[in-house]
Amino acid sequence: MNKKRFSQLLATCLLGTTILAGCGGGASTSTPAPAGGGEAQQSAGGEITAKIGVVSFLSGTGAAYGEAQKAGLELALAELNEANKGKLKIELQMEDSGGKKESAINAVNKLINQDNVVAIIGPTLSGEMFAAGPVANEAETPIFGISNTAEGINDIGEYVFRNSLPESIAIPTAMKAAQEKKGFKKAAFIYAANDDFSVSGFKTMKATAEQMGLENLGEATFSNGDVDFSAQLTKIKELNPDVLLVSALYKEGSLVVKKARELGITATIIGGNGFNNPQVFEIAGDAAEGLIVATPFSPEKQDEKVQTFVKAFEAKYGKKPDQFAAQAYDGLYIIAQSLLAAGKADRNALRDQLAQLKDFQGVSGKLSFDEKRTPVGEAVVVEVKGGKFVPF
Amino acid sequence: MDLLNPYNLQVITFIVLNGILAISIYITLMTGQLSLGHAGFMSIGAYTASILTKQADLPLFAALLLGALAAGLIALLIGAPTLKLHGLYLAIATLGFGEVVRVIMLNMEITNGALGLTGLKSIGNTLYEWQKAIGVSAQSVGVSVMQMKALLTLFFLVLLFAVILFLTLRLNRSRIGRAFEAIKADETAAKAMGLQISYYKMLAFIIGSVLAGFCGGLFAHITTTVTPDDFNYHKVVEILSFAVIGGSEIVWGPLFGALLLTSLPELLRSLAEYKMIMYGAIMVLVMAFRPHGLIAADTFQKLFRRRSKQASAAKKEEF
Amino acid sequence: MRWFNLFWQQLANGLIVGSTYSLIALGYTLIFGVLGIINMAHGQIFIFGSLVGLALMTSTDLPLPVAFVVAIVVSAILGIILEYTALRPLRKKNVPHLASLISTIGFATLVEEGMHKLFGADSRSFPEVFGGKVFDLGIMQIRGVDLLIIGISLVLMFVLHFWITRTKLGKAIRATAENSDTASILGINTNLVIVLTVMIASGLGGIAGMMIGMTYSALIPSMGLTLGFKGLAVLILGGVGSIPGAMVCGVLLGVIEVFAVAYGDSSYRDAVAFGLIILILLIRPQGLFGSKA
Repeated sequence: MNKKRFSQLLATCLLGTTILAGCGGGASTSTPAPAGGGEAQQSAGGEITAKIGVVSFLSGTGAAYGEAQKAGLELALAELNEANKGKLKIELQMEDSGGKKESAINAVNKLINQDNVVAIIGPTLSGEMFAAGPVANEAETPIFGISNTAEGINDIGEYVFRNSLPESIAIPTAMKAAQEKKGFKKAAFIYAANDDFSVSGFKTMKATAEQMGLENLGEATFSNGDVDFSAQLTKIKELNPDVLLVSALYKEGSLVVKKARELGITATIIGGNGFNNPQVFEIAGDAAEGLIVATPFSPEKQDEKVQTFVKAFEAKYGKKPDQFAAQAYDGLYIIAQSLLAAGKADRNALRDQLAQLKDFQGVSGKLSFDEKRTPVGEAVVVEVKGGKFVPF
Repeated sequence: MDLLNPYNLQVITFIVLNGILAISIYITLMTGQLSLGHAGFMSIGAYTASILTKQADLPLFAALLLGALAAGLIALLIGAPTLKLHGLYLAIATLGFGEVVRVIMLNMEITNGALGLTGLKSIGNTLYEWQKAIGVSAQSVGVSVMQMKALLTLFFLVLLFAVILFLTLRLNRSRIGRAFEAIKADETAAKAMGLQISYYKMLAFIIGSVLAGFCGGLFAHITTTVTPDDFNYHKVVEILSFAVIGGSEIVWGPLFGALLLTSLPELLRSLAEYKMIMYGAIMVLVMAFRPHGLIAADTFQKLFRRRSKQASAAKKEEF
Repeated sequence: MRWFNLFWQQLANGLIVGSTYSLIALGYTLIFGVLGIINMAHGQIFIFGSLVGLALMTSTDLPLPVAFVVAIVVSAILGIILEYTALRPLRKKNVPHLASLISTIGFATLVEEGMHKLFGADSRSFPEVFGGKVFDLGIMQIRGVDLLIIGISLVLMFVLHFWITRTKLGKAIRATAENSDTASILGINTNLVIVLTVMIASGLGGIAGMMIGMTYSALIPSMGLTLGFKGLAVLILGGVGSIPGAMVCGVLLGVIEVFAVAYGDSSYRDAVAFGLIILILLIRPQGLFGSKA
């Protein structure tokens, strides 16, 4: 019938998309931010309004981590806005990166230049941070990683922060504490080779093992998303190690632990930070018993702050918070505290306040930044007993 | 709308980059071959270029070219046996090639495994240094440094894109382009007419791979980091979708596909959580209602015929 | 003879992994056989079905067999939706064969995101049904669950093979696969046959998904993609559309993968499936069990 009509329509669409793409998201009338700007609105009552951007892995294979972060942030947001009524009002602007670098870069650019946020929390993956961090740094906007554990994140620039402890702090603590008790000598390793988090954890484990004089019997790898580990673990069983070091995220990690016990591996198992999730007990069940993990956050920690957080989280979401949620929660608290100290929603003032962070008492322990903004905190070593993480 | 906003510049930069990628898949498709190895070639180009700029301190543009060349070289090696395959088999074999490349990159020492290479020098920074060297700073143009860098990156990419598009259009009209078309339409007939089928297929495959490798290098130096997972199955699907949703009959099809699929996720940002659902729905719907892609060979002809009719009508009135 | 025992144990591991691959590949093979397309959404569909079954089982104490039925039914329904939205509209004239690849990829994206919305992206643990009872067969140790999965795959494959070659409906399916135009002239309702095929393929997927959940003790939404890839590899290895090919090559791929880990380097495991595909395509493009077209 009217094919002409159609081509006209198409041409219009083409044009329309170009223009819309140009505006990136449509009917926004914002002006570009002057460098070091940020939306600083101070109402008569002295209340600071601060818009904070969040870039998180909300869709796709890593959505579980993004969801946890979102939950932690939203809980912190509600509490903070309630507690600081009249002084500070925080608005969160959530952006999804889908775990993709281009998307993380776009999101950070949008938050800085179009939404005029005063700071950005995220992105979830270290790889994304390496791509998006320089953008924020260049725009002189503080960017605050809540789950980036890779080495070198802080070297991106002056405006890059994180409250997630590098694996190089947590893992050696656990390994040393465990060796004192169990006195193992021969170690075998298994890790997810296609995941930057797990690989950097493995590197730390290996270096620490060498330092401790452990004999390296062998290394095996798997991929994130794998479900079958029988071949690797059968091989490891033959090596007969005293200790099995597992660097993985909990999804695959708990399956590894379960399979290892099923095959009759009796070695002590030490896991990285990635294990710190209540799901471990559900998936691995009894096999998780005796698993040793170093972590800044443990929902079982007998600390008033931690317990209040865990209760509030359970009431709101019906499950226990994990590491991702706890660090997101702490991250927003740190930013709020620094904003209040800065007295205005200004990117540079906030950066200076953040850089001075000392002895922040959060649910994932005490945290300070050293002169290079590297987080200095303490890792707790926990062991699984009776389906719970208890202090080791 | 504010064109100088770095966010918009960034999005347009990615659109242009994906435009070059779209041309790369279009060229392989010109002979009717479906190669899903583009992400693999991107990976080769990206890693070669990044290692050269990071470890060997080579100038960025030399590294980009060498990256493209490396991709072409590998294409030459694997092309000879694989191009004997047809249709779906070629698709799966090249998909396999991409996966094998990914696993190799994960295991090599020099690529730094899953951690990848970070802290690469960005195109914007390199260009800005040049600009400063000739005595022009951002202030003198009246924009911020960030905007200047984003603008420079974009100009550079647009320039590259224009050159590549021009050459592609020339190729289309050349003897080679007609040979490609003949092979796509009917391989047996083309052979009967004395065309060296395997030569032309190889040529298209290599041009496509070189372009993909080049895009890989660009991608690495825009995002300043490169990891093996950047070039996984999802990237393959993305590149393929440009051609299939846009249409692969004429070059404007994949280009439109790249424009649409790169800008759409940004337009749907407000619906962040439902973005992927809509993305999936769009793919299903476009295929159901316009299986040849949104832009077919006759789309423009119809458009232009109508225009020229109007034009001739207007002329008549003048007389 | 330590290495001897180890070899058999690894062989057993390979057989278990392999039979799950075979089960998954059957779905691809059936649909390819009849429609001549690769259903890229198969993995996501069956994981979705199995997740529904698992979720009902854990939340309402549904007995396992009922959960199996739920998984099969839900997967089959998704298969029907796939047929009506992403496959049937493309069965017109002049549709490039790539179109179905893309529309099923689109459908896969929809289903995967749907799973994330409904069940979260987390892994869900599968309750232990038979206990982790380990049978010692002398040279190898094998869990009851694993024996079950090998048994069920074997039975399913023989039933399917018999059904396709002997029954009336099976013959109709084969006729449609051979030439759908001729089949419809001969009075076969090809559309109905296709709907049934997609339903059966997806339903079989549902069984595979539940079995996988049982052996690996968890289901993860992203399994759809990773396991789907293996099924795809088996499809090509065995020769597209060949049921015996899918059976044998699934097991073969599992065993080779496991041996690659056991006697080679585990970090190259993911390259095994596709490396084999490339090799097979170059040496014998029709697959190990395919006949030359």
